[in-house]
Amino acid sequence: MSDLVEVEPGVWSVIDGTRVYEVRVVGEQVLVNGQAVEVASRKAAAGSASGPVHVRATMPGKVVRVLVEVGDAVSAGQGVIVVEAMKMQNELKSPRDGRVMQIAAAPHTTVDAGVVLVTIE
Amino acid sequence: MFRKVLIANRGEIAVRVMRTLREMDIASVAVFSDADRRSLHVRRADEAVHIGPSPARESYLAIDRILDAARKTGADAIHPGYGFLSENAGFAAACESAGIQFIGPSSDAIRKMGSKTEARKVAVGAGATVVPGTAEGMIDAAEAFRFAGAVGYPVMLKAVAGGGGKGMRRVDRDADFAASFETASSEALAAFGNAEVYVEKLIERPRHIEIQILGDRHGNLIHLGERECSIQRRHQKVIEECPSPVMSIEPSLRERMGQAAVSAAKAAGYFNAGTVEFLVDAGRNFYFLEMNTRLQVEHPVTEMVTGLDLVRLQIEIAAGARLPIGQEQVEWRGSAIECRVYAEDPENGFFPSPGRIAQYAEPSGPGVRIDSGVYAGWTVPLDYDPMLAKLACWAGTRRHAAARLGRALSECAVVGIKSNIAFLAELMKDEEFLAGELDTAFLERYFERRQSINDPHEAIVSEVLKLARKPLALETRASESRWKTMGRAESLR
Repeated sequence: MSDLVEVEPGVWSVIDGTRVYEVRVVGEQVLVNGQAVEVASRKAAAGSASGPVHVRATMPGKVVRVLVEVGDAVSAGQGVIVVEAMKMQNELKSPRDGRVMQIAAAPHTTVDAGVVLVTIE
Repeated sequence: MFRKVLIANRGEIAVRVMRTLREMDIASVAVFSDADRRSLHVRRADEAVHIGPSPARESYLAIDRILDAARKTGADAIHPGYGFLSENAGFAAACESAGIQFIGPSSDAIRKMGSKTEARKVAVGAGATVVPGTAEGMIDAAEAFRFAGAVGYPVMLKAVAGGGGKGMRRVDRDADFAASFETASSEALAAFGNAEVYVEKLIERPRHIEIQILGDRHGNLIHLGERECSIQRRHQKVIEECPSPVMSIEPSLRERMGQAAVSAAKAAGYFNAGTVEFLVDAGRNFYFLEMNTRLQVEHPVTEMVTGLDLVRLQIEIAAGARLPIGQEQVEWRGSAIECRVYAEDPENGFFPSPGRIAQYAEPSGPGVRIDSGVYAGWTVPLDYDPMLAKLACWAGTRRHAAARLGRALSECAVVGIKSNIAFLAELMKDEEFLAGELDTAFLERYFERRQSINDPHEAIVSEVLKLARKPLALETRASESRWKTMGRAESLR
C-alpha cells in the first residue's frame, strides 16, 4: 500500500516504498510524473476491431471537404474528412480498415466537438 | 523616451513586451477582444481597452480600433508583437500618419521585405542565393503546374502573404498537384485574405537556420547570430536553439550568413529587429528564404546567449537611439534551447486542444525562462493560435541545455487540456536530437522510429483513482463541522 496525499486539488503525492510520484487527475485525464496514462474505462471506450466506429470532430470547427462516399472501402489511417478549426485544416482519419456506412456532415457546415462525422463498419 | 506603449497583440508575447516596459518605467496598454477579457496580458497591463469581438479580423487585425485605443489612452508608441498586424505595412503606415511611433521597421521596409517574392528580389540584388522558384505569386493552377514540372519534384507551395505554415504544401508528383494547390490557396485565402501561392523547388533534408539582425535609424546594422529552428511540425517551429549545432562543424558559417543577412536588410533600408531565414543544405550551402520584419517567437534563445534584451533594444531604436553595441562587441556565450508549449495532442497529429486549464505549474530553477500567457482556471480560446508558453533553458553546453530543458519540462504541468509537454520532454532525451543531426523532416522521422512508452504505473494510478473518485465520502468528512475536527485535533496535543 502506497502513501497517498492530495497536496493540491487534483494533485496527488504518492510514496510507493520510497519512490515518489506525482499524479494529476482532471476528469478522465490522468498524468503520472507528467506522462499521460490510459485509464481502463477509456481503453474500453476506444472500441474493438469489429463493429462500427465513429470518426468524431475533436473540436468545434467547419467541415471543408468530405473525402469519401458512402460504400467506399477505407483503410486504417486513410483521411475521410477535412475539418477546419483554429485556422488549420485537419484531415481526420479512419481508425481502421472498413467500409463507409454513414456520412453525417456536409461541406461548409459547422460542427461541435464530439459530433460523429463519419461512421465506418 | 516613450511614456506609454500600446501592445497590439495578446497572450504570451504581449506579456513579454509588458515585462520590458515595466523595467523601463513605461506604462503599458493592453487591447483585448471578447474572448480575452480574462487573459493574462490584460491582467498584467497598466491599462486595457476592449477592441471588439473574438474573430481577429474584428479586433486584433482592426487597424482603426487599435489606433482609437492608442489615442484614447494617449499611448505614444505601438509594439505589434508577432503575427496579427506585425508585418502589415498598412498598419505601420497608419501609425506613422497618426503620429504614433510604430516599434518596428518603416512601412516601406515592411512592404519590400514582407512580401516573399519582393524580398527575394531584394536579397538576390544584395548577392544572396535563393532556392529556384516562381518569382511571382500565382492564382492559376495550370501555370503553377507547368513551373513545377520544369524545376522538378518535389516542390513546395507557399502563400505569398503567408507565415506560420499556413497555406503551405509539399507536392511530390504530378498527380497530387491540383488538389494540393487548391488546399494551399484556400488556406491562404482564409488565413491572409490573399489566395496567391508560389512554387519553389524543395531542398531535401534542409536545416532551417535564421539570422537575427538589429539596426538603428542612423544606418548601423548588425547581426546577433543564428537560431536553428529545424524541428517543426506542419512547418511550424517547435524547438529553436542558439547556437546551431552546425556551427560546431563549420564555425565560419555564422559570419558568412550574418553578413548575407545584414546586406539584404541594408538593401531594404531596414531598421529595428528583423530576422532573415535561410535553408542550409547538407553541403552547408545556404539559401535565402524570407525575411520576418518583426520580433520572432523564438527571440529568447538569442537573448539568453547574447545577454541582450531585444524588446528593450527595439523600443530604444524606435525612440531614435543609436545601437549601443557594434558587431565586434556581440558575444555568444553557452547554449540556449527553447520549446513551444502548445495546447495540442501530439498523439493525434498535433490537433489543437483548446479548453479550460484545470491545473497549471511553471518550472523554475537555474537557467530556466518561461514566457507564458496562461494561468490555472483560464480557458484557451478557440479563436487564436494554440501556443500557451515558451520554455527556454540556458547552460554552458548544448547537452547541458537539453538536459536542463528536459528537467524544466518535468516540472511543468498543463492539465485539463492536451499539451505537448511530455512529448517535448521525450525529445530532449532523443539521441539523434542530442547529436544535433537536425533537418526540417526531423519530427516526421522521429514518429517513424518512436518507441511507445509503456505504462508501468497501473497500480499507483488505480490506488489514486480509488481515492480521487470518491468525492462523496471525502465531502462528508470535510463538511463535518470544522470546529469539531479542530477541537478534536487540539485536544490531542
